[in-house]
Amino acid sequence: MNLSRRNLLLGSGLAALGAGALSACSTSAGGSGGSGGGSTSGLALWYWNGGLSDKVVEASKTQFPKDDIKPNKVGGDFKQKLQTTLTGGSFIPQITGVKGEDMPFFRSVADKFTDLNEFGAKDIAATQLAWKWAEAQTEDGKQLGFPIDIGPTATFYRADILEQAGLTSDPTAVAAATSTWDDFYAFGQELHGKVPASFPVPSLATVFQIIVGQLTNRFVGKDNTFTGGSDEMKQAWDTTVKAQALGINANAGQNLGPALAAGTIAMDLGAAWHALDISDAAPDTSGKWRIANNPVKPTNFGGSFLTIPSATEDKQAAFDVIKWILSTDNQGQAFTDATIFPADPAAWKLPALTGGDEFFGGQKTIDIFGPAGEKVPEQYVAASDSAVSAAYYNELTNVEANGKNPDQAWTDAVAAAKDIAQRQGVK
Amino acid sequence: MTGARRNPLRFWPQYVAVSPFFLLFAAFGLFPLAFSAWLAFHRWDGISPVTFAGFDQFRFLVADATFRKAVVNTIIIWIMATVPMLFMSLGLASMLNSVKRFRTLYQVILFLPSVTSIVAVVIFFKAIFDNQVGVVNQVLEAIGLSGVQWLNGYWTIKIVLAVIMTWQWVGYNAIIYYAGLQAISGEVYEAAKLDGAGPLRTFWSITVPLLRPVIIFTVVVSTIGGMQTFAEPQVLFGSNASINPNSGGPGQAGLTMVLYFYQQAFNNNNYGYGAAIAYGVFAIVAVFTLINWRITARAEK
Repeated sequence: MNLSRRNLLLGSGLAALGAGALSACSTSAGGSGGSGGGSTSGLALWYWNGGLSDKVVEASKTQFPKDDIKPNKVGGDFKQKLQTTLTGGSFIPQITGVKGEDMPFFRSVADKFTDLNEFGAKDIAATQLAWKWAEAQTEDGKQLGFPIDIGPTATFYRADILEQAGLTSDPTAVAAATSTWDDFYAFGQELHGKVPASFPVPSLATVFQIIVGQLTNRFVGKDNTFTGGSDEMKQAWDTTVKAQALGINANAGQNLGPALAAGTIAMDLGAAWHALDISDAAPDTSGKWRIANNPVKPTNFGGSFLTIPSATEDKQAAFDVIKWILSTDNQGQAFTDATIFPADPAAWKLPALTGGDEFFGGQKTIDIFGPAGEKVPEQYVAASDSAVSAAYYNELTNVEANGKNPDQAWTDAVAAAKDIAQRQGVK
Repeated sequence: MTGARRNPLRFWPQYVAVSPFFLLFAAFGLFPLAFSAWLAFHRWDGISPVTFAGFDQFRFLVADATFRKAVVNTIIIWIMATVPMLFMSLGLASMLNSVKRFRTLYQVILFLPSVTSIVAVVIFFKAIFDNQVGVVNQVLEAIGLSGVQWLNGYWTIKIVLAVIMTWQWVGYNAIIYYAGLQAISGEVYEAAKLDGAGPLRTFWSITVPLLRPVIIFTVVVSTIGGMQTFAEPQVLFGSNASINPNSGGPGQAGLTMVLYFYQQAFNNNNYGYGAAIAYGVFAIVAVFTLINWRITARAEK
């Protein structure tokens, strides 16, 4: 699950509109007929590069020779392509991945997918993470997706820079010293005071994303009302912009990679998969990074699902394949192959995960991410959530990049968010 | 020819011969055009049943401060890119017209940027204008100036976008001007020379007036192209796409009309509103073309 590596769908906007337009003709006729769905033979499996372990997918072919599994790594904007195909009603895959951030949208069209509970998902769910399974559940209890991975969040930090600032660099001690946002900022101020070239906050969006994940309500409530102007949201905003007032924001949203490599960012907040972003951007800092619990409580960014579109004929066969691909052992294999962090807690005990990570100085990162994954709070995410949230991120960028007054930015953000919400049909 | 009623079917081979264009146009031009017009009066997330929305989408559009911002951005970027670009193109074309050797080589070099992948170009320029490690800032610092946060500021973002667009299309327009210059007969220049006109006078009194049709053509084409700027800001600010995709960067300074359309339709699954934006863009391009036409038509008199 790599939110940050979403591929670009360049220049094909108009082509996509054409395709969407053409396929739209069949919407009123009912796209879920299924007769035209999928290839004539075999079991088409759609995923994206890095979404599943290629080795496990390859092995599934020999595991299920009768099903004739046809994996298809779909490039470009995955949501766009899946949506167009489901609307068009033909060439629908028998199994498809759905990214975590797209699940709220696809959950709003639940009749396009199969209720996995009918095929035995319910028994498996008992031993799994309730909050993750809930992400792919409808109000009436239909289970649309089988979790592939999760993105529990933590604080990433440079042990060497913290030591240089005379601060503790031990994960437990760092977590204890930064258990609230006030403590985190105080810790960061001390760090930035001693080592002025380094900052504890990469960008305001980084902090805001985590704090919003810790709230009881996001931008749109379960009853489809706008909650982006609530007191707790204002508080989240105030806490976030405080980093700017304190002068401890690196403001590196536009160039995170170089800032990571240069040591400008001494502390970072992100999901388990963010480790890969850091090691890709700053390979020379290997061994200097550590991980600790992030302030207050962990949240979750991303983490995908495998689903069975309702057009699939042999749903039981498709579910058996999913069950095998996402078995505990294969989730461990996926972590080894592509650092896909297992959604199945049992996989965290496999040797693939319990070993130390060289990039993090040999730290056993599962000791942080495992318990974090257990503690992620359940939160309702509306289909319109990301569209509405855009207003806040735009204004946060205005505050950090252009010095806009934070109170004015809040007022503007709420006003713009309300407009977007209205256009999205939010009450 | 006379008298006999002509049966159109008699000409079926000719109709078949010209049909590919019309069939493709109907499928990929006419139909999307009509469908998006219909869509602009509806609400559709791309997958659920379509519901009627009346004039709601257009009411939203009129009240949408972000769309206004996108319109202003697009116009500023277009002016910043087009005006210097066309002057540079004209200069390059005159220079090309006066060189004697390696003319084809220069033509190829001038034409090269316009056939280069725009994604590659933007990624390249993004590295050049990087806030910290960009070549531009390193040069500025080397000569004792302070670096500029190119990809953060309201104006600097527009400058970067304008530079990219200028770099890509300056040569293309120069080639078009060069073709226009070739068509001007040498006798006119000789006559000017005999009358004692210097190079500058010749340029303004002979070259520019005679090139007018070509200049009008490039202005119109640049207007239509500039009003539809999309890929440049999309790639330039693609890196932070995870939480706020296609926002056009800090302050939404790089949010163009078409990028906003794309964001609303394809990121937010708001196809009805996207269609309304597309027709808003169409109206604005039409107005600009009209203005262009009026100005040039008046100058013609």
